[in-house]
Amino acid sequence: MGEIRVILQSLKMSVHARMQYRAESLANALAVFIRESANIIAIYLALLKFDKINGWNVNEMLFLYSILFLTYAFVVSLFADLRQFSDTIREGRFDRLLVRPRSLLLQLILNNADLIASVGHGTLGILLFVISAGKVGIHWNFTTILYYISAIIGGILIQGGIFIIFSSLCFYFVETNSIRSIFYWNMRKFAGYPISIYHKAIQVILIYVVPFAFVNYFPAQYLLRKADMADYHEIYIYIAPLVGVVVYAIAYLFWRISVKRYYSTGN
Amino acid sequence: MRAYVEFAVKKFQDKMAYRLDFFMGIVNTAITIVVYLCIYKALYGEAAQVDGITYRMVATNFVITLGLSNAFDYDEMLIEHKIHDGSITGEFLKPVSFMLRLLAENIGEGVFKIIFNFIPALLFTMLYTKLCPPKSVLSLIVMFCSVVFGYLILWLISFIIQTWSFWLLSVWGIITIKNVFVNILAGTLLPLWFMPAALRKIISFTPFEAIYFTPVRIYLGELDGVEILSGIAVQIMWIAVLGVIANIFWKKGVKKLVVQGG
Repeated sequence: MGEIRVILQSLKMSVHARMQYRAESLANALAVFIRESANIIAIYLALLKFDKINGWNVNEMLFLYSILFLTYAFVVSLFADLRQFSDTIREGRFDRLLVRPRSLLLQLILNNADLIASVGHGTLGILLFVISAGKVGIHWNFTTILYYISAIIGGILIQGGIFIIFSSLCFYFVETNSIRSIFYWNMRKFAGYPISIYHKAIQVILIYVVPFAFVNYFPAQYLLRKADMADYHEIYIYIAPLVGVVVYAIAYLFWRISVKRYYSTGN
Repeated sequence: MRAYVEFAVKKFQDKMAYRLDFFMGIVNTAITIVVYLCIYKALYGEAAQVDGITYRMVATNFVITLGLSNAFDYDEMLIEHKIHDGSITGEFLKPVSFMLRLLAENIGEGVFKIIFNFIPALLFTMLYTKLCPPKSVLSLIVMFCSVVFGYLILWLISFIIQTWSFWLLSVWGIITIKNVFVNILAGTLLPLWFMPAALRKIISFTPFEAIYFTPVRIYLGELDGVEILSGIAVQIMWIAVLGVIANIFWKKGVKKLVVQGG
């Protein structure tokens, strides 16, 4: 129970911190919303001209994208301090956590929650879902709703796990920003399209290395059943919600091993 | 002038210091190119051309635009930081124009990125897919001039918004929204060929078309003699207009400046 209290306390402090500058926070949430909409607008305009991309029409594309935004809205607040973990170490904030009587990861979760980004991504995710979900021929019933919710949770765990793994790398290397920008930010951008259109090497990365395919592509395939699913084994669809648990477990173990190597950068 | 060249060279050397970063930068650019070419290929499907535009033209446009937009990207929060920590006052004491010094440094950084990021990634892309050659040697030379003008247009837009930090607590949100406009209206995300006609018409009245698209069209030979001249005239017109606006904002901002504490 104490653990949940710590997390809730973190969340409360984050809300307070953001609300110090209320107008600016709202303006920045709007800016995030507009920035993220840019890719959506580009896809919409492209499909006005080209109609379909590998068999996916505009609503199916928006549905695929909505899962990325909905999951990231949670990830960006839950794992905010792990997103730029090298900064957390460099500024000495990590040292503070070491002297407290709670597990390190627990203290990092929801710490400095980036609620501005959550609101921006979340609003866009909900909006895209509302626009597209009714038009892509999904039969919403108990099974599909249950699958959808598990897939969303799985997607959050996959991305959280990836953040934890990249953060753990900070204990081995001084600078990990460039690696993270290739393997997280870029891959996330690529996952906005059906992965079947990519070069095989990129598909392998998206399925097995940074498994974004299980965040949105395979879950969307369960609900949409597009023809390009023939390229992959059926099992991927069913294990999608589980991949998150596995990735998170691996990440947690890796973190436990890595954190032992920590030496403070302070003086 | 010598001083400003020195600033540019200094910035170039600074960038050289981070070797891993720049190696990963090349990998990043190469992956991005491969991925977006896959996306365009999937959009084209079996079609040989769409509205008279071939896949190869789109690929060429994408690679040039990406390379330039990487090179044209720099720290846009600099003026805000300098105002917040008060170090902007130090700039007024120096016997050089702050605006030109900043421009020189940004150009130094841009040249670095073109030589060490864009060209290696471009060579890699050429192994992977065929791109359109320039229409002629002359059009390549004219394109270089047009690229410089395009850079100045984008730089001035960014500078104008940065000067708003004299009045606003934070310009991050406005810069973010500005970048959305640039990404969509300048054709970084989708080539302007494929924009709906009405939107395309509106874009032609903004400075955005003159940033990347004019150089690309000159390179591809889409514009003939008179059109090239008018394209470049439009670029120069925008540089003049934006230059005047930038100067007004900068001068007014400096007058308005109150630095807290010492």
